[in-house]
Amino acid sequence: MSDEHAHHHHDHAAPVSADDAGSQALAEALRSSFAIVKIVMGLMIVAFFASGFFTVGPQEKAVILRFGRPVGEAHKALLTAGLHWSLPYPIDEVVRIPITEIQKVSSNNGWYLTTPEAELSGEEMPAGPSLNPAVDGYALTADRNIIHSRATLYYHIDDPIHYVFDFVAASNAVQYALDNALLFTAAKFNVDDILTRDQAGFRDAVQQRVSDLVEQAQLGIVIDNCEVQSIPPRQLQPVFAQVTTARETRNKLLNDAHSYENQVLNQSGAQATSKTNAAAAERARYVQAITAEAKRFGDLLPQYQGNSSLFVQQTFVQAMGQAFTNVQDKLYLPQRADGKPRELRLQLNREPSLPKPAATP
Amino acid sequence: MKRNLLTVVIGAVLIVIFALLLFVFQVRQSEVAVVTTFGKPVRDLTEPGAYFKWPWPVQKVYKFDQRVQNFEDKFSENLTADNNNLLTSVYVGWKISDAQSFFPKFAGGSVPAAQRMLESMLRSAKSAVIGKHKLSEFVNVNPQDLQFDAIEGEIEQAVQAQLSTNHCGIELKFLGFKKIGLPESITQAVFARMTSDRQRLINQFTYEGEAEAQKIKSAADRQASEVVNNAVADATRIRGEGEAEAAKVLPVFQQNPELANFLLRIDALQQALNQRSTLIFDERTPPFDLFTGIPANPPIH
Repeated sequence: MSDEHAHHHHDHAAPVSADDAGSQALAEALRSSFAIVKIVMGLMIVAFFASGFFTVGPQEKAVILRFGRPVGEAHKALLTAGLHWSLPYPIDEVVRIPITEIQKVSSNNGWYLTTPEAELSGEEMPAGPSLNPAVDGYALTADRNIIHSRATLYYHIDDPIHYVFDFVAASNAVQYALDNALLFTAAKFNVDDILTRDQAGFRDAVQQRVSDLVEQAQLGIVIDNCEVQSIPPRQLQPVFAQVTTARETRNKLLNDAHSYENQVLNQSGAQATSKTNAAAAERARYVQAITAEAKRFGDLLPQYQGNSSLFVQQTFVQAMGQAFTNVQDKLYLPQRADGKPRELRLQLNREPSLPKPAATP
Repeated sequence: MKRNLLTVVIGAVLIVIFALLLFVFQVRQSEVAVVTTFGKPVRDLTEPGAYFKWPWPVQKVYKFDQRVQNFEDKFSENLTADNNNLLTSVYVGWKISDAQSFFPKFAGGSVPAAQRMLESMLRSAKSAVIGKHKLSEFVNVNPQDLQFDAIEGEIEQAVQAQLSTNHCGIELKFLGFKKIGLPESITQAVFARMTSDRQRLINQFTYEGEAEAQKIKSAADRQASEVVNNAVADATRIRGEGEAEAAKVLPVFQQNPELANFLLRIDALQQALNQRSTLIFDERTPPFDLFTGIPANPPIH
């Protein structure tokens, strides 16, 4: 529109003055530069608003602060991975919170002086006769023993608003809680419970204490897992090992005794059963035999009563006949004709006598 | 005209922006601010947001980090109530709770200065509280006697009380033991006691194992012989029952004792001459009595 206007003016003005050509060219230049300025301004306005776009990476979350105050409450304030837009500075400010899903802190406060490298290569400094409090960490147990104990805690950030905006160094605070939990829990457990009898109970108690402390401090984290490792002082490792051996030996003895017990009881049970079974069988057989005998008696009684001497002879002869068939050697010795008793000599085959011991005076 | 309007609008916007920069300031989520008028604190801003102020040199804004700060004190030695030397290190979480009090107390609201003061307060509180407790209240099997938590609480209260009386504008958020230890020479004595404890355990396990095993075995033997003895008694009873049952049949034989007697002897004879026996007999032994003569028909009377 201004171009049109200018044209109009130009048409009229051209004949009026010839040296207007110079100023005309100047006006032309001004107009075009003004147009450029406008375009640049337009671009700047676009850029101003476009600068509000930002991306959130997969390993982070972001919070928009509008005039310093988070937009949205608690979880809703969190922007997840992707493209987002905010009003330009100074109205909005984007705060990025780098969080890998699982965070981790370790407590080596209760461990003797060593490095992971030395530990891996097995080239740790040899243990001295005592522990130097300046360098060697340890925990005191409820029964006033000294042990080394260390822990690793895995957690995730549940409420980043608290975690990021309420603490200068939140992970340090978590670490302190873990340090404290090891000391606190060791202070109420016996050395043998921590090292052998109730390792899981100790671990759970440590985790519980950390959980209580971080909740109390409102750190805005949730604990996923806690790993605890406890060992006796290196100075006493051999004697602790001996206790373990002694305990195992005792358990083995007890196991052996129990298996002996089982075996003996099973055997005696079997023996008892066989004895009672034999008695029952014997009883049945005896009763059966005597019943059969009685039946035979009943059957024979009428015959015997009919003619007793005939019956006796018959039965006797029958029995003798049967006996003769079974007998191995039969010797018939007829009576002497003169009726005198016959003399009979039996030579019984005796066992051969043992040879006499030589030269017995 | 239109061009003028545009110019005016742009100019107005610029003036507004300039004015905002002069008159408005922000307090971020993690901050507190104190506004001073000619150097005198007049307003305390604890909530985040945008606020108005008069421009410099009338009002000035001081901002403080109100997040919780952590630090731990030196590992230091104190005497317990029962004269044990105990080394402790304590961690503390604190924050500025009242910026208006905090600000004039420490030069320019310096956090390190505040921390130095806290450390000295902590040192005296720690030695006072530890001196009131026995070692057995720091470590104990019995939960009722263990006062670990309570001791931490007492130290925290002592420090907090000092902070309040001095109007430091500081609040403790948490406090706890980070490290507990014994003097180096004592650890050697503890090791000696632990060694003798272990030795006692070794003896106990050795003795216990043998004694218990012996007990179990002998109990098993006793139980086994009891079981067998019971079975023998049962067997005797069962046999007795059989005999009692058999006795009921005996009256049958009473009908004719002679026959019964005869049958018994016949059976006995048969059994005696069953196998591997030698029989010497003459013609009087039936049925060889046949050798003496064929019996005639008996005379008829």
